[in-house]
Amino acid sequence: MSGARAIVEALEREKVEYIFGMPGGANLPFYDALWDSKIKHVLCRHEQVSAHVADAYGRVSGKAGVCSATSGPGATNLVTGVATAFADSSPMVAITGQVSKAMTGRNAFQETDVIGVLTPVTKYTIQPLSAAEIPAAVKKSFFIAQTGRPGPVLLDIPKDVQQEEVEITFPESVQIRGYRPSVAVDSRDVERAAEMLVKAQRPILFGGGGIRIAGASEPFTALAQLLMAPVITTLQGKGTFPEDNPLSVGPIGMHGRAEANKIVSECDLLLAVGVRFSDRSTGNFHEFAPEAKIIHIDADPTEFNKNKMVDLSILGDANEVLMMLFEAVARRAAKKTDDNAWLKHLEEVRETMKGIPAYRDSYSELSGPKIVKAMREVLPPESILTTGVGRHQMWAEIHYRVLRPRTWITSTGLGTMGFGLPAAVGAKFARPDVPVVDLDGDGSFVMTEQALATAVEHNLPVVSVILNDRSLGMVEQWQRLMYNRRYIGIRFQNIPDFVKLAEAYGVEGRTVGSLAEFRKNLKEGISGDSPMVIEVPVSHEEDVFPFMPPGKSIKDTVYGTTKESAIF
Amino acid sequence: MRSNKVLSVLVENKPGALFRVVHIVRLMRLNIEGLTLGVTNGGEECRMTITVSGDEAAVEHVARQLMKVIDVLEAHTYGPEEMDSRELALVKINTDRVSLAEVQRNHSARIVDSSAHSAVVEVVGSAQQIDDFVSGLGSANVLDIARTGVAALPKEVQR
Repeated sequence: MSGARAIVEALEREKVEYIFGMPGGANLPFYDALWDSKIKHVLCRHEQVSAHVADAYGRVSGKAGVCSATSGPGATNLVTGVATAFADSSPMVAITGQVSKAMTGRNAFQETDVIGVLTPVTKYTIQPLSAAEIPAAVKKSFFIAQTGRPGPVLLDIPKDVQQEEVEITFPESVQIRGYRPSVAVDSRDVERAAEMLVKAQRPILFGGGGIRIAGASEPFTALAQLLMAPVITTLQGKGTFPEDNPLSVGPIGMHGRAEANKIVSECDLLLAVGVRFSDRSTGNFHEFAPEAKIIHIDADPTEFNKNKMVDLSILGDANEVLMMLFEAVARRAAKKTDDNAWLKHLEEVRETMKGIPAYRDSYSELSGPKIVKAMREVLPPESILTTGVGRHQMWAEIHYRVLRPRTWITSTGLGTMGFGLPAAVGAKFARPDVPVVDLDGDGSFVMTEQALATAVEHNLPVVSVILNDRSLGMVEQWQRLMYNRRYIGIRFQNIPDFVKLAEAYGVEGRTVGSLAEFRKNLKEGISGDSPMVIEVPVSHEEDVFPFMPPGKSIKDTVYGTTKESAIF
Repeated sequence: MRSNKVLSVLVENKPGALFRVVHIVRLMRLNIEGLTLGVTNGGEECRMTITVSGDEAAVEHVARQLMKVIDVLEAHTYGPEEMDSRELALVKINTDRVSLAEVQRNHSARIVDSSAHSAVVEVVGSAQQIDDFVSGLGSANVLDIARTGVAALPKEVQR
C-alpha cells in the first residue's frame, strides 16, 4: 500500500467525513488516493478559509475538522486559521504536503519549514518519515487534537513518503509517553469546593469555552439551579448556560454585560469552569473579583494561577468534576430558592443598569444592537451564529442571547477577522439541519469572501449579515475614545457593492433599508436552500458600550460618551 | 525578581524535542546562558539542563508551560542550593605570560594540550569555581574559553 493510500485509510478509520482544502504539487499523491475514498473533499479558495472551515466544523461537531494544503504557500496560508483554532482550543488536524526528503533543506520549490512555522501555534506536529509510520501518525494526530484541552495538530508528510509502497498495518491505539489527557479527579478537592459553595453568601458560577468542549452544560446548569447562583460567562462561554435562564447574567469583559461586570466585582465566591482568565474577560487581573474566593476547574493544569491566583484548583474533565460537585453540594444542602438576598441584589443591579445608554433603545433603527436583537427574534433557538471580529461581534456579545451550547461560534482568543463566513460554512457542514448565519462586518467579510464560492458549490444556505459601516469600526472607536479622534487607516474609500459581489459568486444579495425589511429577508434567507448575503448599511459613528478600556478594571467601565453615562 | 535558576527538562529522545523546549523559553524572553543535554535511560530519553537569566516568574511560567509540551516528560526549576551541579571548561592560556606549572599547582586544572606559546587546560567545578579560575588567571592571559554549561541533578530524588 502507498503512503498516500495509508493516510486516506487512516482518516477513514477516524470516521472523517470531510476534508476542507486545496491540492498542490506536494500533496498530489494524497489527493489521488482520495479519489477512491468515500471521504468528501470540499474545495476552498484559500487555505486560511480551509482552516477556518475545519475549525468551525470541529467546534460545532466536537470532532476534529480536517484541512489540507500543499507545501510552501499552501502551508503558510494555513497559519492564521491554525493559530485561531489553537487560541480557542478547537480540535483540528491540518495535513500538509512537504517536499520529498531528498529535497529537504535545498530551498526546493515550495519548500517551507512548516513544522518550524506552526510549532508555536499547534498542540503538536508530526512528520512521518516513512509510509509505515503513517497510520500511527494519523491516529496520534486525532488522539492529541481531540482529547484533553483540544487543539490543532499538524501532520506534515513529505511527497516521497506519500509515494512509498510498503506493508502497512493500522494500530488500534497509540501510546504517547508525555501525554496523559485524562486524570482522576481528586474527590477531596471536590468536597472542599462543595463546602466553600454552600458556605458562600454571594456565589457566582463563571462558565467558559471549556464547558462547551467538555459537553458539561447540563451539570453546570444543574449546579447553578441547585445553588440558585447567578451565572456569568466568558465570550467563548456564551451559550454554555442558556442566556434566557433567569440566573443568566451574561458575559463579562471588555464589552460584557454591565450587570455581569458589576456583580462579579461583588461576589464572595467565584466558581470558574473552563476559563483562562483572559485579559479581555477580567481586565486588570489583580482588581478582578476582588472580594471573591476563587475555585477554578480546568482540564489544563497550566491554566491554574497563570493570570489570576485562585484559592482552589481542580484538575479534570469539566463534565466529570461538575457532576461530582453537584452530588457533593446536594449532600450538604437542599436546593436553594430564589428568595435570597443575593438574587434580590442581582435584581437591583439589573434595574439600575437598565438605565445605561447601551440598554436603552436610543440607537438608530439600522444599528448593531437592533439588528442582533432582531436576529434573535427571527432565528430559532437551535440556529448557529458565527461572527467576524469587530463591533458587530461585540454587539452580539451584549445583545444576542445564545440559548444552546455550540450555537455561538466566534474567534475570541486570536480575534481573527475573516473568521465568520468560513466558520458558517464549516458549521453548516457539521449541522446541515439547523439555520446557520454569519454576522459580519464589511472589514471582516472581505478578508475571506471567497468562501461564498464553496457555499455555492455545496448549496449551503448560509446567510451572511454584513453590518456595513464602510470603516474598521472597532479601531475607529478606539481612535475616537483613546486617540483623540486622530483617525488613520480606518475609512474604506472604496468598498465593494456587496449585492453585486454576492451576485458575482452566484449568491442572492440584498440591501435592507429598515428593520422590518431585515427581518423579512433574514427569514427568507434561513428558509432558502442557497446562500444569501444581506447588507445592512450602518453608521460608523455608533460605538459599542459598555466598554472597559484595555488594562483597566471593571470600575473604569465607560458606559457611553454622554454626561448621563458618567453616573454608573 | 531576577532568577538564577536552572530548568531541568526530561524529554523523549526524538528530533525536534529541543526545538519545542527552546521555543517556550524564547517566548518568555529568557536568555539561555547554559545548555547541556545528553541521552539517558537507554537512549529513550534526553535530559536537558538549561541555565536561564531573566525574570523569576517567567522561569516558573516556562517550567509549567513545558509540562504541556507533548515530548516533555518532566520539567522542574531548581535554585543553586537545590541541586548538585558541575560544569566543564576548556581554557586556552597564553603560556608566554603564565606559568603552566603554577596554574596546575594552584588549581585543579588538567592540561589537555600544550603548544609553544599556549596550552589548553580543563577545569571542572561549579560555575562559580570556573568563574574564579578564569578571573584568577587575568583576562589578558586567557586566549579563549569554551564552557559546557551546567549539568545538574536535584539533590532530592524527586520533588
